[in-house]
Amino acid sequence: MSEASSILLTFLREAWIALAGAFLAFTLLAGIAQMLRVSSASVLGANLWVWEAVSALLSIVVLGLFAFLGIPQVVRALQSSLPGTGGCGPISELGTLASGLIGGLAALRMLKAAFASMLSASIGGPSTFANALIECGEALFGMILASAAIPLAAFFLGTC
Amino acid sequence: MFDPIMEQILAIARDAWAFMAGLLVVVALLGGLYYVLQGTAGAAFGASRMTSMAIIGVVGLVIIVLFAFLFLPQIGELLKNFQPKAPF
Repeated sequence: MSEASSILLTFLREAWIALAGAFLAFTLLAGIAQMLRVSSASVLGANLWVWEAVSALLSIVVLGLFAFLGIPQVVRALQSSLPGTGGCGPISELGTLASGLIGGLAALRMLKAAFASMLSASIGGPSTFANALIECGEALFGMILASAAIPLAAFFLGTC
Repeated sequence: MFDPIMEQILAIARDAWAFMAGLLVVVALLGGLYYVLQGTAGAAFGASRMTSMAIIGVVGLVIIVLFAFLFLPQIGELLKNFQPKAPF
């Protein structure tokens, strides 16, 4: 069980690193796309378009900081609240596996939401920062539910 | 495991960056030319406000392009330093 857990977590960690790298690349692309909008709008004299692009640029920076500084802290805080071992024997190993996987999947889901938002901004669309936050909230709620479900499952399936 | 995919994504992102940087330069040059035309026309028939607006426009355009080419790489470096390891 611990080997399976290790393999799955390694897979998720590599996915995290790849997604973070792609997120960084698309952050820069989104930034230059918004700068292109600013310059073309200022030449055309479209003031509203300039301010839209400037606010989108600010939201890109905020989203980047949130993804790289906020998400890991939130995941660490929630993962520390997940009960890893709810008994002994197979149920204990299963609990450890489940808590690790839940944390990894939730972290990846949050980063994926931020990445989708950044991808949208890089092709000139709205940055949909709110959607990223909503999806992060859903992932957090799932982790909180799981933190309640693991001890309950351990209680019903048998504890020492 | 994800390295080949990552290489492909980064290659596409590099191409897109070069394309958009080139497009930004072209747009800035066209805008600069427009402002030069506006400024010379204003100077020709004595419209001082039109000329001064054109000069301000050119200066603003230069600032925007410098901001894009100096600020964005710095932001990239900053975020690269913040790039987190997997928190699980």
